[in-house]
Amino acid sequence: MDSQQLWDSALIEIELSISRANFKTWFKDTFVSKQEDGVVYVSVPSEFVKGWLQDKFHKLILKTLRLTSDKVRSVEYIVSKERPVSQKIGGTLGALGKIELPLDNFYVNKKDNLNLRYDFDSFVVGPFNELAHAAAQAVLKNPGSSYNPLFVYGQTGVGKTHLIQAIGNKIKDLYPNKNVYYLTSEKFAVEYTNSIQANTTNSFKEKYRKYDVLIMDDIQFFSSKEKTQEELFHLFNSIYEKRGQILFSSDRHPNFIPGLEERLKSRFAQGMIVDISPPDHESKAVIIKKKSGQSNFIIPDDIVEYLAVSVEGSVRELEGILNSIICQAQLKNKTPSLNDVRGLIKNNIKPKKMVPIESIVKTVANYYNIEPENVYKKTRKKEIVKPRQMVMYILREDYNMPYPTIGQKLGGRDHTTVIHSYEKIKRELKEGSILIQEVDQLRSML
Amino acid sequence: MKITCLKEDLEKAVSNTERITGKNLNLPVLKGILINVNKSIVLSSTNLDLGIEIEISGKVEKEGRVVIEGGILNSLLSNIQTNKNLTLELKSNNLFITGENIKITLSTLPSNEFPLIPKPKKGKSIKIKANLFTNGLKSVWSSASNSTIKPELSSVYIYPNGEQVIFVATDSFRLSEKKILFNNIVNFEPILIPVKNVVEIIRNLEDTTGDVEIIFEENQISFIYKKQFLTSRIINGAFPDYKQIIPKEFNTEIISLKEDVINSLKQSNVLSDKFNQIIFSVFPSKKTLTIKSQNEKGENISRVEASLNGDDIEIGFNYRYIIDAFQPISSDSVSFSLTGPGRPMVIKGVSDGSFIYVVMPMNK
Repeated sequence: MDSQQLWDSALIEIELSISRANFKTWFKDTFVSKQEDGVVYVSVPSEFVKGWLQDKFHKLILKTLRLTSDKVRSVEYIVSKERPVSQKIGGTLGALGKIELPLDNFYVNKKDNLNLRYDFDSFVVGPFNELAHAAAQAVLKNPGSSYNPLFVYGQTGVGKTHLIQAIGNKIKDLYPNKNVYYLTSEKFAVEYTNSIQANTTNSFKEKYRKYDVLIMDDIQFFSSKEKTQEELFHLFNSIYEKRGQILFSSDRHPNFIPGLEERLKSRFAQGMIVDISPPDHESKAVIIKKKSGQSNFIIPDDIVEYLAVSVEGSVRELEGILNSIICQAQLKNKTPSLNDVRGLIKNNIKPKKMVPIESIVKTVANYYNIEPENVYKKTRKKEIVKPRQMVMYILREDYNMPYPTIGQKLGGRDHTTVIHSYEKIKRELKEGSILIQEVDQLRSML
Repeated sequence: MKITCLKEDLEKAVSNTERITGKNLNLPVLKGILINVNKSIVLSSTNLDLGIEIEISGKVEKEGRVVIEGGILNSLLSNIQTNKNLTLELKSNNLFITGENIKITLSTLPSNEFPLIPKPKKGKSIKIKANLFTNGLKSVWSSASNSTIKPELSSVYIYPNGEQVIFVATDSFRLSEKKILFNNIVNFEPILIPVKNVVEIIRNLEDTTGDVEIIFEENQISFIYKKQFLTSRIINGAFPDYKQIIPKEFNTEIISLKEDVINSLKQSNVLSDKFNQIIFSVFPSKKTLTIKSQNEKGENISRVEASLNGDDIEIGFNYRYIIDAFQPISSDSVSFSLTGPGRPMVIKGVSDGSFIYVVMPMNK
């Protein structure tokens, strides 16, 4: 077992046996610098920490280390000259600077499931998520009262989990007495069904009701799980009553989660529902700079610009590409040029989205309960005309397809017909008819 | 624990220790001041970066130890009007402070969680006049960087040079160097003290007349004076090779009265732009020195009496960086030496070779 693993597993044990404040104060920035003949050398940041570990925690540390590895005979403490440098990248980096990995980022806290890596310092705020961020700040000021529950939704990889976990971590810092817990809805469902099987539903209920801050990720997995939803409903009420803060995330608005009970929807709506949209170009550029800055790697401005414009999609994808660039740069030990980057990411860039006309037609037709081929036919029945106009509207509005092309694809119609349909739907939407809901629902289904 | 002491002594020790208690730390006990009674009465506090111990005189009736939240104790004592004796007694986890017309009960923090203040074991020690040492620190600390990105720049660098000890600080925009003569050979390894701690060290050593014993260790620097003990973490890092950036030859030189320059600078700053830019127009050919500034509200031009030498030059500086140069200069007249556009300026006292200030100009 290498030093890093040894110390990590020991830290997890130690954390369970001492108070959180003590753990954070005394074990922050510690690491094992070397092992020799059964002696483990623990590096600590200062003389203060050294004295205290020696005096108060020596027995505990030694015991835990021995449990993890029977080769350990004794422990020595040294005040470190340097912080740990990531071994993967440390040596080859040279001119590009050292990369620091503070130890406390490595693991997920067992007690509350929160990953310490998610904090507000690394959270980039842009126009695409500023509302969600502001709501989060309001929650931090007054957990349990200002926006309760806070419901964050958005596409995959835009930072929902980051945001809600960052709130959890910050609440822990600000209000050390609060009991915070993070879990995914899937885990909740599994635990619940297990508890039914094992006849321990009561202890299951007890367990969750003691939390002051409950964070539940990916709520959409609850769709059509009636019993679990009922349990969540009761849990929600009991936490809400004692003014606990509840945070949810989902990939869509609660109204469009199929099979979600009405009473849950209304509970969600009573707090604050915010969405995080995919980042705009400027925000992407900021994210790239920030993420590369975290790795002490400076990416030239032209490359940042190129990446921001050409990489479509989520922040997660952006991170992946960035990692491969940094890795390449370290291998070759030079900053990559724009051409290098082009070559590197050609596989990551999605080709311009093909317009899936057929699937749109199918979805829309299904939604209105008609046969898809009717859309292409020259019939003017009322129940066919409306879906057809809807297809034209969506193709124009969401996919920016030219009018003539739309007409051609939908059974050889004149472009003026398409313009008329588009304008008609648009007008009706403005007037605020029931169409708004239909369009929203259709969009979420596409 | 039970002690009786003078309110004045206690108040002073509490206010000095309270400043060093840990603010914003996870461990509540770090907000506390430890009163350790064991024949003598010692107050201590630490923020895990700095640690302090102050011994006060008083009558010990019963030994023991107690930790009290520093902020509360300090504000209580500073508001107590009496100057008579105070009695502090620990009874069932509460501290009772009694005196003339006073009866205070305070809850305590767990004293077994209070950290140890690391004591120097081995290490080189020197004994020097405290005011000389603080003078060195005070002359340069304002040039250190506030950012924590480069710890070596947010520190004061101290190293010996024969009979001198040299203090340096820079934030990469300006640099201060002060040489202090100690009249006997001093010898220790160069060290970096974090500037946050320097401020506290100055505050604590400032009113000490007489000698201070300084102990240098691998990771700590400690000061022992009167009945106090102060220890600070030091930065393990390399200070940049700063000597090479101090220009040796100059193209333009200005000598003027310190007061005149400061007044003109302050006046110009009122109308400086958002980058605090102040322009020095030096024209030895016309024998004029003007300091200019302008923003959307107006423009200021002030002429300064000065003796000028060398080439004509117009060069802009950040007011905030320039003004820090004068406080450590004790002589009445100052010299400004320039090497050309885009190159640093050197500020010195005319008869004073011990202090030098180097500042970078602004890009136009």
